[in-house]
Amino acid sequence: MEFALSEADAAFRSDLVGFLDRELAEGWNRSEHGLGSAVYTDFSRDFVRTLAAKGWLTPHWPKEYGGGGQGAWQHFVLGEEMWKRGEPRGPQYMNVNWVGPSLIKYGTEEQKAALLPPIARGEVFWCQGFSEPEAGTDLAALRTRAVREGEGYVLNGQKIWTSYANEADYCFLLARTGSVSDGRNGISVFLLPLSTPGVEVRRIDGFVGAHSFNELFLTDVRVPGNCLLGEENKGWDIVRRTLAYERVGAPRYARAARVLDGLADWCRAAGLLTDPGVQEQFGHARALCEAARVLVHRVIDERAKTKEPSPMAYQARAAMVQAERAVGDLALDVMGSEALVEQSPGDAQFRNSLGAGIAAGSYEVQLNLISRLILKLPKE
Amino acid sequence: MDFEPSDTQRALLDALGTLLSRHAGTQRSRQLAVRGAYDHELESELRAAGFLDLFGDSGAGPLEATLAVERIGAELGAITPVPHLLVLPALGLPVPEGPVVLADHERSGPVRYGREARQILTAGTDRCAAAELSPDEAEPVPSAYGHPLARVVPRRAEELAPGTAGTMVRWWRVGVSAEALGMMQRAFDLTVAYTKDRTVFGRALGSLQALQHRLAELSVLLEGARWLTYEAAFRGATAESSAVAAAHTMAALHRLTRETHQITGAVGLTREHDLHLWTLRLQALRAELGGLRAHRRAVVTSRWGVAAA
Ligand SMILES: Cc1cc2nc3c(=O)[nH]c(=O)nc-3n(C[C@H](O)[C@H](O)[C@H](O)COP(=O)(O)OP(=O)(O)OC[C@H]3O[C@@H](n4cnc5c(N)ncnc54)[C@H](O)[C@@H]3O)c2cc1C
Repeated sequence: MEFALSEADAAFRSDLVGFLDRELAEGWNRSEHGLGSAVYTDFSRDFVRTLAAKGWLTPHWPKEYGGGGQGAWQHFVLGEEMWKRGEPRGPQYMNVNWVGPSLIKYGTEEQKAALLPPIARGEVFWCQGFSEPEAGTDLAALRTRAVREGEGYVLNGQKIWTSYANEADYCFLLARTGSVSDGRNGISVFLLPLSTPGVEVRRIDGFVGAHSFNELFLTDVRVPGNCLLGEENKGWDIVRRTLAYERVGAPRYARAARVLDGLADWCRAAGLLTDPGVQEQFGHARALCEAARVLVHRVIDERAKTKEPSPMAYQARAAMVQAERAVGDLALDVMGSEALVEQSPGDAQFRNSLGAGIAAGSYEVQLNLISRLILKLPKE
Repeated sequence: MDFEPSDTQRALLDALGTLLSRHAGTQRSRQLAVRGAYDHELESELRAAGFLDLFGDSGAGPLEATLAVERIGAELGAITPVPHLLVLPALGLPVPEGPVVLADHERSGPVRYGREARQILTAGTDRCAAAELSPDEAEPVPSAYGHPLARVVPRRAEELAPGTAGTMVRWWRVGVSAEALGMMQRAFDLTVAYTKDRTVFGRALGSLQALQHRLAELSVLLEGARWLTYEAAFRGATAESSAVAAAHTMAALHRLTRETHQITGAVGLTREHDLHLWTLRLQALRAELGGLRAHRRAVVTSRWGVAAA
């Protein structure tokens, strides 16, 4: 057991921190605009190109696909430092965390050649078209259909809650190629350019931070056969792997911990930080952020060694949800009505924390999986 | 980073496990509890095998000593592993025979093995004080919580060097977390096993989602406490890491006590069932150093540099 980064990884972190402190000195304020806001997304476009030029957008990808061939820890350190600063990569964290790796694993040479370089250069946005009105937690109930027509497919159906679809160039889309009764065995993944005729994006007004939800309507959308990722009807395997990358890909506790530091500054200035009750709540929230950190680190250690995700990731993700919620609750408890003021240090955290246990696999689902796979509790 | 035990750590824990299977465990704990006795035999076995020297050992260190404290807690070792394996070595003090009491100047109250102990170490604001205890002056108090408790009166206190109180308190926090961790894991495992065996309404208790989620949440707390504790030991018990580990571990302890007893029903409340061997003893650990609330406040003083409330 050893709980320190290797010398090389630690050196990488300190270079990165220096770089980010310089790059983000101006024009970037983590508390002012939330992830998902227009200002944020605009900022991220330029920032990500700068990162790409430095080789720090996709350092963990294999060199042949525009990566730096670095290990799991450097990738993770990158994510941690980004989330600490409120994720200045904007939606592109999804590209580098799971879209790219899924393409690398399942894509044809032609798909990789066409789709990976723009991601590695920081030029495109992708979104995730999984959820549907009747398929959330029960994702395998999805109904969007893809029917073969000649060499290609015709897509019809509706997606919902699609973050960044309003900005994205491509959608990593799930559709049913088999029958509904095939359940998980009738699903395929499509790499859909959102400029394709028949795709309509509508915004849904939400209040989870500045984040915007969208609906995606697909009406007779014709795509060529090379939009299919992997084999037909084998999409569920890809989904499983994608979700595993995604589950701990966003170290949200790092953001929560940074917000907590900001809240401590606020309380100190307000003369509240010496209050024993306030201190107890801070100690509680900080411990939850730290617990989430060590549990995520444990998953990264496993990834660095075996590369096969295990059920430990569910504990890590549940701990992240607990941390985000605790910091959100603290914000409202200690700041009082000041936390209700838009863009106050507590506002974004609280609203974000409402969605923390829903997006990317709900909290209850993590608990179900822990029960079954770690505690080996019986099914009904 | 490496979350897996090294070969040395594995070998060490195997050897300790073998020793504890002979000289500790539930049966031994039950026998000793009747007499309210400290386990001198276990202590001397551990000493002879070198486990009391792990902290400063070149082939081992504080993390290994912490792992050993956890195991001793799990096996209900009726000794005082925290001062013996962590606090005294961290202060560079000799490890005496028999129980040692840890205290802090802000709190009084009965202490574990107070009647048998000859030494008490008290954390002041800056320095520790080492004092003698005399059995004639100790006042045993009745308690259902497994540990023999007594009120004690320190004599001829000797002030140690400046700064020693901080070292003592930080390793105490890591130690009490490790000891609690070992005990909690056993109580948790017993409870999970119970839910698989017990049938209600024609199905296993453990198949009920209402209980599954509570157990799953407990496992998240326990694993968090585990890795925070190991990490704090690895980092040499810094002020923040040790306070965070203790705060999270004690939060887990509160929850675990309630849930294990709720989920095992009436049988879990009997002396015949083993659960109480861990859960009742855990309550003495919960009280140390001011408990959960004080650990949480210590997180704040160390992280954000504010004066203690
Ligand atoms: C901020 C945010 C961003 C999102 N971005 C995207 C995106 O980009 N792309 C995308 O495809 N989707 C996205 N989603 C959707 C997300 O994946 C779904 O919301 C999620 O899968 C849950 O589905 P649902 O909302 O339909 O809830 P439901 O499935 O209706 O669940 C409601 C509640 O019931 C609980 N529940 C359900 N089943 C069980 C069970 N078996 N046992 C116990 N409890 C259960 C759930 O945990 C939840 O608390 C996003 C969601 C949020 C909040």
